[in-house]
Amino acid sequence: MSEEFEVSKELIKQLVDGTIDDDNAERLLKLPRKDKNRFFNYIEVLQEKVSWNDKILLRLGDKLYVVAKPGGARETQCECGYSFGDYRTNWKLGCKIRTRKTLEEMSRVYTPAPAVPEPGWQEIREFFCPNCGTQHAVEVVAPGYPIVFEMLPDIDTFYRDYLDSPLDDESKDWYQDQSQKKTASWAQ
Amino acid sequence: MATIAKDIKHTAGGENKRTLLDMINTRDELTSQSGHYYGVTELSLRDSDPIKYERFYSKIHASVLAARESARYVAASPGSREMGEVLWGLATPEGDTLAVSAGFLSHTAIFPVAVRYMAKNQYDVNDGIEDGDVYAVSDGLTGGVPHPGDFYSFVPICIEGEVIAWAIGINHLMENGAPVAGSWATFSVDTFMDGLVCPPMRTGRKLKQESWWKAIWERRTRAATMNILDDKMRLAGCAMIHETTHKLIEEFGLDYYKRAIREVIEESRGMVVDNMKSTMVPGTYNGCAFRLVKYKGLQNVWAHADKNTLIHVRGSVEPNEKGIKIDAEGSSKWGYHSYNATPGGTDCAIFLGMINSFSHNTKVTAGIELAVQRNYPRGSIYNPDNEFTSNSNLWAQTVALNSIGFGAVSRGMFSRGYLEEAFTIDGNWGAFQGQGTTEDGSAYGFTNFEWLGGTGRGAWCYKDGEPLVWAAWSQMATIGDAEEFESTIPALFYLGRKLLPGFFGYGRFRGGPGNSAVHWCVEPGKHLALSRPNGGLSCTPSVGLGVSGAYPGPGSFMISARGTNLDELIAKGETPRDARELLEQHESGKLKIDNLEIWKTDCPELSLQNNDLFVDAAGSSGGWGDPLDREPQLVVNDLNQGVSTEYQFLSDMHGVVAEKNELGTWELDEKATMKKRADLRQLRLNESQPVAEWWKTERQMVQKTGFNEEVKEMYQQSLSFDKFRDEFCSFWQLNEDYMSEE
Repeated sequence: MSEEFEVSKELIKQLVDGTIDDDNAERLLKLPRKDKNRFFNYIEVLQEKVSWNDKILLRLGDKLYVVAKPGGARETQCECGYSFGDYRTNWKLGCKIRTRKTLEEMSRVYTPAPAVPEPGWQEIREFFCPNCGTQHAVEVVAPGYPIVFEMLPDIDTFYRDYLDSPLDDESKDWYQDQSQKKTASWAQ
Repeated sequence: MATIAKDIKHTAGGENKRTLLDMINTRDELTSQSGHYYGVTELSLRDSDPIKYERFYSKIHASVLAARESARYVAASPGSREMGEVLWGLATPEGDTLAVSAGFLSHTAIFPVAVRYMAKNQYDVNDGIEDGDVYAVSDGLTGGVPHPGDFYSFVPICIEGEVIAWAIGINHLMENGAPVAGSWATFSVDTFMDGLVCPPMRTGRKLKQESWWKAIWERRTRAATMNILDDKMRLAGCAMIHETTHKLIEEFGLDYYKRAIREVIEESRGMVVDNMKSTMVPGTYNGCAFRLVKYKGLQNVWAHADKNTLIHVRGSVEPNEKGIKIDAEGSSKWGYHSYNATPGGTDCAIFLGMINSFSHNTKVTAGIELAVQRNYPRGSIYNPDNEFTSNSNLWAQTVALNSIGFGAVSRGMFSRGYLEEAFTIDGNWGAFQGQGTTEDGSAYGFTNFEWLGGTGRGAWCYKDGEPLVWAAWSQMATIGDAEEFESTIPALFYLGRKLLPGFFGYGRFRGGPGNSAVHWCVEPGKHLALSRPNGGLSCTPSVGLGVSGAYPGPGSFMISARGTNLDELIAKGETPRDARELLEQHESGKLKIDNLEIWKTDCPELSLQNNDLFVDAAGSSGGWGDPLDREPQLVVNDLNQGVSTEYQFLSDMHGVVAEKNELGTWELDEKATMKKRADLRQLRLNESQPVAEWWKTERQMVQKTGFNEEVKEMYQQSLSFDKFRDEFCSFWQLNEDYMSEE
């Protein structure tokens, strides 16, 4: 099948909404090569879905995006419009967090009883958008584990070398983890 | 076999013959200098006559496929015949894969390890390697084997004294002769307890095993009959490949063969790199997982191993111009337990995701290994600086590293827009193993692979995961026939074998439910005992991170119920069919149990008597997305279909309100659901705190190292690697020498 083959925006929307039927999903899974323009069509579908106008650069999660802000910043943003700030800083640091450390607390999210993780060795962390309460991430980790920066995308390389569509504001600084600046400020 | 034997080329080895090591050095130099496999920068054979080239490869591929489909029916244990726990392959003289059959695809990664070991130790120079020799391999360090339960046969294919290829057959043994019976020797302290561990060793010539080799199976394993059948199976497949390869060279000529095998690998390397670039988003993906080894109190004979250990699995994944880099720096150090890995065995695990994701539309060759750069720091659990570590249960934790790598691919494809490929990767397999002696004194050993053969697939980003259909280690998930396992283990019968309601990770889309079986011990004779190799453990889920707000799948667990009133329940026809039913019957007093034990970690060998029960649950998988975003009707459907049985749990998880009608069917209350969801969102905000506040409190605990003993030791080990130390100290704003003096 040709790489020029296009998957319709309607099908992409069904994928995003979770309404695609099994036959179509299987057809897409069996493509020997993926449609080359998927990303830009995907972004168009997502852009139509959100209520704000910031340009989506990348989708990180179901309701989490990296967007270009009018002033030139690139920020991680919830679907509700809440900004977690510079995308190079782990967005989880801008969340509200609820932890489950006891067997009773963990039993509300794992069942049956023998399947519940072991307190002391593990704790469950839930990360919420401070504005809309969306649960964006869950960690089941050892106590004291640093909050995991799950994905720092190299957006410039992606647009330039993978999509042949370089961004205007390229800079090597865009692929630098800035999370420690935030924790350093907390330590003051 | 006789018709093949007469055609065997006896190789004397000429004076000027290049050694195997020379060939490997040439391969490495050409590859590293050019960045292309074997220095092949143009696919001249393919481009000049593509039909001939593809016909050549089709014959190679057909030979390994035919080996699998025929040899399993020549002689094989149930694990090999029914469940396809096998693989055959053809490799270059240097051990680089040219083709593999269906089955355990990722074992392609270990082929070079054994061949390079033989080359470095001059097997060809000192002893000679001849056409149709048979080598046995089951050692992790020298053979790259992911656990000694996996056994390999290597057969060199030679032309006029020169090794031109290797035919290789693999299967998972039913029993491999360790102190802990079965095929994953849980509770091993070092390699000397891992069972039948063979560095590459010649066991046969002219496609026929030596007589002594049969005695090894009979005297050093507990399932000799099964293992000898499998040994014959592996060799039969290799003999087929051996014959086909000689005929192939007669047809195409040796010169064509030697050039074509390099082009095949370079072609697929290029395709794999192209696939990575066309489906991924570059950047840094991080993941983690934990595994509790609870040996304290159980290892009294070996005092140095009588301790608990929390294993930290840490992985970062970075797509780059050469392919993908997987870095395990920050993971724990090796220990006196059975969960250590070797570089070859780790490769075998992490290539599961890589092959599945990037080799689907090209030839499955060593090209994938060239496209995936790996870093396993020396001294870590993936590359021990001790040559005697136990590797018998390597698979149980390296699958978590694979889940991190595979999960990164899935996240990348999600961001790229290829949502149809994006699903949650989990690795909660299970199995059990053991030994017995029948009433007439016959001893036997066994492994039941069922929950290794098929697990739930994690949630897709657009629909729920399916039960049983997925096994990261094989394309053909199957749990095998219950009757086969009943015949293999004479005293155990199934009372139930089914999906376990509610046993999955929750999210907008839920993971595929895990499975549970109730094994009933009937007249065990003189002795029956079993243990668990513990693929996943519920005390520490298989992966540490949920996806997009969902929960990771719960880990595996098992229950032993010894001393029961089962006869009474059988008379009433009310026996339990899964773990949940067993616990409910026990709680209600219906099922009486003298000794009920729930095992969220490794269970030691358990002796079973008549009417004792062993219950396991495994194969669950994680969800995708915020549970409060789940379509309410899907929650109601799960209740009505028995996928979940706990209404209140579901209602609080998803914010869904439903009621049973007069027919006993659950019906959605949309208005109440909307209100409950709004309330739960508000509750989240009320019960949570800004991460900045949480950080300040937690930091005080971290500064005081207020962890339990196992967590503390885990951090001490991981902090000995600079990358994790930098991250940890930077996150918590600690001095660089934090915990370094303790």
